[in-house]
Amino acid sequence: MEFKDYYALLGVEPDADTKTIKTAYRKLARKYHPDVNPEKGAEDKFKEVAEAYNVLKNTERRAEYDEMYRHGGRSHQGFEPPPGWQGGASSAGHQSSADFSDFFNSIFGQRGGGFRGYSDFDQRAERGQDIEVELPVFLEDIISDASKTIEYTMPVHENGQAKRVNKKLNVKIPKGVCDGERVRLKGQGAPGQASAPSGDLYLHIRIVPHPMFDIEGHDLMMTLPIAPWEAALGAKVTLPTLSGKINLSVPPNSQSGQKLRLKGKGLPTKTENGDLYVIFKIVIPATTTDASKALWQSLSEATAFDPRAQWEKQNA
Amino acid sequence: MPDLIFKVSLQELCAQEGITETMIIEVVEHGIAEPLAGDHCQDWVFESDSVHWMKKAIRLYHDLEIDWVSISMVIDLLQQKDTLLKENARLRSQLERFVNSHYE
Repeated sequence: MEFKDYYALLGVEPDADTKTIKTAYRKLARKYHPDVNPEKGAEDKFKEVAEAYNVLKNTERRAEYDEMYRHGGRSHQGFEPPPGWQGGASSAGHQSSADFSDFFNSIFGQRGGGFRGYSDFDQRAERGQDIEVELPVFLEDIISDASKTIEYTMPVHENGQAKRVNKKLNVKIPKGVCDGERVRLKGQGAPGQASAPSGDLYLHIRIVPHPMFDIEGHDLMMTLPIAPWEAALGAKVTLPTLSGKINLSVPPNSQSGQKLRLKGKGLPTKTENGDLYVIFKIVIPATTTDASKALWQSLSEATAFDPRAQWEKQNA
Repeated sequence: MPDLIFKVSLQELCAQEGITETMIIEVVEHGIAEPLAGDHCQDWVFESDSVHWMKKAIRLYHDLEIDWVSISMVIDLLQQKDTLLKENARLRSQLERFVNSHYE
């Protein structure tokens, strides 16, 4: 396996003091921490940096590491810890985290003290880790009593080895759920140590964009294309909604962008329903026949209407 | 089918690695999360929605070694960012229904 140069990873000299190492770590951690940096590869970079800091900030671990560093560990194509390598650092009694590199585990293995160094001071039998899974949900699922199957992987420890197992679960979509909401499934997360309970599974609800509707909270928004004569004269229109077709009367002299509110035809909340807003969009045929052209011409002559009257007022 | 729950208690949170009662108190004191109920901190119960932000705050505390006031600011900004991104996506979608041609 590859020898990891922790000093190079942090950008410090091998004889750097603790203060320098700390400053270097903080700068890099701030840059690559996945909670503040959404870029691809940031999390991996952060884990590398955190692992380096985990070793170099601890006097005993740093001493062990320096031994190997000095004895040319870097120059080998491959790296294997010397046979029977025990090291002198005390055991923290914590399982290897899958977050550490193979290199780290080969040297510090059971003594890493937990990825974030939690177990350096925390010796209880820990509840299993929580897992968060994105659950894409269709609008149609929210209004029906739909259940969805989710698949995810879970880290488990078997015989001291960390591995991931696949899990499948059937979940009912809760009524009134919002986009971005996080819902908890108790006990469906990673198993705990020894007799400790399992962690939880959190479902991060993401509503899949709908081709016809936009969502604002529990209200739905829909654009209704209408012909110019429908806008001028009014019209009866059939609208598809999530719960079936409804009839709508377009009032005469409607404008593009005008909104009509249909109470209760939106998404269900925990107590009632949101509303559906219909927004008119006037569209004209892409081509005109000679006959319709003539009609348009007469109409323009018969109607005293300047759509740009406002502009002239401004320039007056 | 497993039960969906919308609440988590402080006890359950503290049973996990790296989360202590002291940290949860700091998180609440700095306005990062608010307990739904409970007069004493041992009785505190939180909305499952806020667990995500609480854990994020605690991770930042461990990993970036910054103070709780700064963390509170960061969480606040991250939440605002989430809201803005969502609003942006919605407005963009609405706009595209008007700007794009009705007849392809």
